[in-house]
Amino acid sequence: MNKYTTVSIPRVLHERIEKLLEGKSGFKSVSDYVTYILREIVEMHETNHSPAPFTSADVAQIRERLKALGYL
Amino acid sequence: MTKVAVIGLDSVPPSLLFDKLLERLPNFRRLYQGGLHGDLRTCDPPITVPAWMVMMTGRNPGKLGIYGFRHRKPGSYKDGYIVNSAHVREETVWDALARAGKKSVVLGVPPGYPPKPLKDGNVVSCFLTPSKERPFTYPEELKKEILDLTGGRYEFDVTFRTEDRDTIKRELFDMTRTRLEVAKHLAKRKPWDFFIMHEIGFDRLHHAFWKYFDPSHPKYVKGNKYEHIAEEYYEAFDRGLGELLRAMPKDTVTFVLSDHGSKGMKGGFCVNQWLEREGYLRFRAKPAPATDLDKADVDWAKTKAWGWGGYYARIFFNVQGREPQGVVPPVDLEAEKSAFAKKVMSIKDGEGGPMSNEVFEPDKLYGTAVGDKPDLMVYFGGLDWRSAGTVGHDSLYLSENDTGPDDSVHSMEGVFMANVPGKDLGGRELRGLRIQDIGPTLLKLYGLSYQDEAGVDGNAIPEVVEACR
Repeated sequence: MNKYTTVSIPRVLHERIEKLLEGKSGFKSVSDYVTYILREIVEMHETNHSPAPFTSADVAQIRERLKALGYL
Repeated sequence: MTKVAVIGLDSVPPSLLFDKLLERLPNFRRLYQGGLHGDLRTCDPPITVPAWMVMMTGRNPGKLGIYGFRHRKPGSYKDGYIVNSAHVREETVWDALARAGKKSVVLGVPPGYPPKPLKDGNVVSCFLTPSKERPFTYPEELKKEILDLTGGRYEFDVTFRTEDRDTIKRELFDMTRTRLEVAKHLAKRKPWDFFIMHEIGFDRLHHAFWKYFDPSHPKYVKGNKYEHIAEEYYEAFDRGLGELLRAMPKDTVTFVLSDHGSKGMKGGFCVNQWLEREGYLRFRAKPAPATDLDKADVDWAKTKAWGWGGYYARIFFNVQGREPQGVVPPVDLEAEKSAFAKKVMSIKDGEGGPMSNEVFEPDKLYGTAVGDKPDLMVYFGGLDWRSAGTVGHDSLYLSENDTGPDDSVHSMEGVFMANVPGKDLGGRELRGLRIQDIGPTLLKLYGLSYQDEAGVDGNAIPEVVEACR
């Protein structure tokens, strides 16, 4: 079975994304980008968690600070 | 037009502010003598996050679903996440005021990162802000204003370094001075009906220096170089407070509040080693001294429960169908919790005397407990002992913090002061004050209440409402 399927998005949105991706590395195509964004959002909804505002480096730094202060 | 200002002091206990230092602090003393005051009972657990949000939403931690700075990721043995402002979904005092067209200044109230938009408001994020490089204000342009004002020196927190207390001291005083400078600027230059600032420095002072300034601490040494640091710090804050209050309109009703108190630490109790001794926790290999549990070789398939360290202990059971290698059948969980609680109550202190522990079950404690709660919460010895989560120690009892320099623990009583200009309230003491009463009290002064009052646990404090009539 094909691992991919098609969903429709407005053409204007597709063009906006294309424009956004111009000159940016990391996303090979609009589909790539849309998949990435949707994964994040869907996981957020599935787990009922907000998107993390902290990077993993932030978390490590905050953990060290809280630990040194006796909070962990 | 009611104007209310809240001066939030993290971790300040009545014993220091009211009993020991008040006579040296003219601005606090003026508010105290002409106003109302009392001990302010904090929430369970008595931790900065969630305590300030309990205060500002009037709801208990179970309803907020916030049980500390860090939560466990559901089902995970090792992964957690840091609580941030987006986890607070209930209406705060400033949200309710904005709904009524009132303007607020919110400086540093935790968890305040990332800063949330507030209609016609000015918001600065809290000590959990990862760095000054990030957007830390609402509106975003306010950041530049703050950095320009302080010559780029605005700091969110101090860094703890083992046994380098001179640096901590310098950073602490600098941080608080710039916070007060920013507070004064915002109070003067921004439109507001409600002003709130939070100072984390008090908590850091207590954790880093308690044994140096409290003669009753077992490790206190008379004549040590930090013996007077508490006076110095509180006095420095008091001077800044005087300037801040002078920058506010004369008819401002002022509150001074803390989220919990502090007291000297008796020691650390090694919760996970105790769990191992009692057969709840199994290791595949003996852990090296002072190893974090998430780095130890735990035999999860033979482990029934494990604990987290901090000022209170969080206990998690290894439940079938919930944890990856769960062993406790869900049907047995309640009985396991009861048996566990009985065992915790029988733990002795380091000298063989009673430790007087308390065990709480979140759902029973809060009525309802949402979010990533622990199965049980434990206070060792009325919080005199912190919960040490590390393993591999020679004893269950540690005389020091297992994770760094730390001489104080949290206590259940914070401070409350309210001062109403033009009214001599005679320095009257109020009793039975609770932090969840603060939000409803503040809103009542504007003739407002929370949008959804059904889940609010606090009540407006009648003496304060009366004094403001």
